[in-house]
Amino acid sequence: MPTAAERKALTKGLLKLNENMLTLAELSELSIRKAVEALAHPDHALAEDVFTLDQEIYALQIEVERTCGDLIALHAPVASDLRTVTTSLKMTTDLDRIGRYAKDIAEISLQLPAGAETWYGKLPGLAKMVDHTIEMVDTATDAFVRREAERVRNIAEADDAVDALYEATFHAIVQFMKDGTLEEETGARYLLVTRYLERIADHAVNLGERIVYMVTGERVPRVRFADRAAGRDTASRREAKRP
Amino acid sequence: MSEATKREGDAIGVEALRPEATVEVEDPAVESRNLTVSYGAKVAVREMNLRIPRHQVTAIIGPSGCGKSTYLRAINRMNDTIPRCRTRGQLFVDAEDVYGPGVDPVLLRRKVGLIFQKPNPFPKSIHENVAFGVKLHYFASKEELETIVRGALEQANLWDEVKDRLDEGALSLSGGQQQRLCIARALAVEPDMLLMDEPCSALDPIATAKIEDLIFELKKDVTVVIVTHNMQQAARVADFTAFMYMGKLVEFNRTRDLFEKPRESLTENYITGRFG
Repeated sequence: MPTAAERKALTKGLLKLNENMLTLAELSELSIRKAVEALAHPDHALAEDVFTLDQEIYALQIEVERTCGDLIALHAPVASDLRTVTTSLKMTTDLDRIGRYAKDIAEISLQLPAGAETWYGKLPGLAKMVDHTIEMVDTATDAFVRREAERVRNIAEADDAVDALYEATFHAIVQFMKDGTLEEETGARYLLVTRYLERIADHAVNLGERIVYMVTGERVPRVRFADRAAGRDTASRREAKRP
Repeated sequence: MSEATKREGDAIGVEALRPEATVEVEDPAVESRNLTVSYGAKVAVREMNLRIPRHQVTAIIGPSGCGKSTYLRAINRMNDTIPRCRTRGQLFVDAEDVYGPGVDPVLLRRKVGLIFQKPNPFPKSIHENVAFGVKLHYFASKEELETIVRGALEQANLWDEVKDRLDEGALSLSGGQQQRLCIARALAVEPDMLLMDEPCSALDPIATAKIEDLIFELKKDVTVVIVTHNMQQAARVADFTAFMYMGKLVEFNRTRDLFEKPRESLTENYITGRFG
């Protein structure tokens, strides 16, 4: 059992880790917001902000890794402390990837030809996809801060909605490209944007799974989309039958 | 949980063991049923129900005075020698109640060896230390004795270090070697079980690592129960871990589960140092 002094030092380290993780999550979320804003209203300064955020996220990721290494080496944490450290280590990778996808979107905003931004509003589902994706990351961040496993236990359901929007937007872009209303290069770049958003949502699911483990020690089982959909159908039928 | 049990648990601030806080063990090497050990009016171990798995390493952890050493010593009746110590309930070793009538504690201790915190070799030669128990229990020829002594020293990973100095005094060995000699001495009489009461607390990290390696190898042949204050050691060497608090068993679980996801908040608070 750690002594009171050792516990105090460990608690201090964990608090620092928590603060850095929270900042990291907020920076990742901010980078998505700015990247999408840069896409919708072409703004080089905003895109530059995203590149700067990417650097900050990377530096913070290194800092978190260092803190986790120190906590393991110096304090040999166990139980919830250990789960916090190992989960943070894994979450940094997801948050870093989210930041990288935001950076990719910001880069696309710089590559779009003049006037292409008007397609942002015209593509059905894209704006909704952005909102859903940001909300998923926001929910995961909040669940991490509040240590609330239940808020993210079913985050894969939210991802299903993003996946459906991705499919719809994908087909709409392809159709616009086929009928010649959307220029091929612009269409291809928007296809990439939708793909990046879909991947960000996948990383938010990872965050949710890891947070459930951190809080409860349970590993969330991976359920296939079809099985989740079947479960939803059964639940809605049961609901409909209720008097 | 019955009201009576709950009341008794509440009286010392610890509830009785919950079914969720323990794991099923089939064919245990040791089983205690409602084992209570008291020193005069002080109850050191209270209503302890525990099944210790065979050919596995089980660690017992808990704060000082929680009763872990008392429980360990109860297994081979070493508490019998303590004045005013009283044991109630049942304790089975290989399905035999060791507190039942007609049990010879000397034979029991051949079957269940005990390694102490501080190495305690006899002030005799290395060879004589290992041969001592064998001579006490069997009539062995010189050749047989040589084979047994060598086998026990090899099993204790000490043979290569002492093979050329078997007639030298055991007290000339380093602390870590002395502890492994004590383990060899216990192994020489072919026990089924080894009890270890903080066997590394007096040793440096290198000697500790050697003992831990040895514990890992020994479980092929014997059941090991180790009391330790060092939680990292419990996590490293034990397959199962029991957490005791104020004389009661709070949780018994696979070591990995206990240190990753304890089922009782009391266990969590203890192992993370958020106690008191």
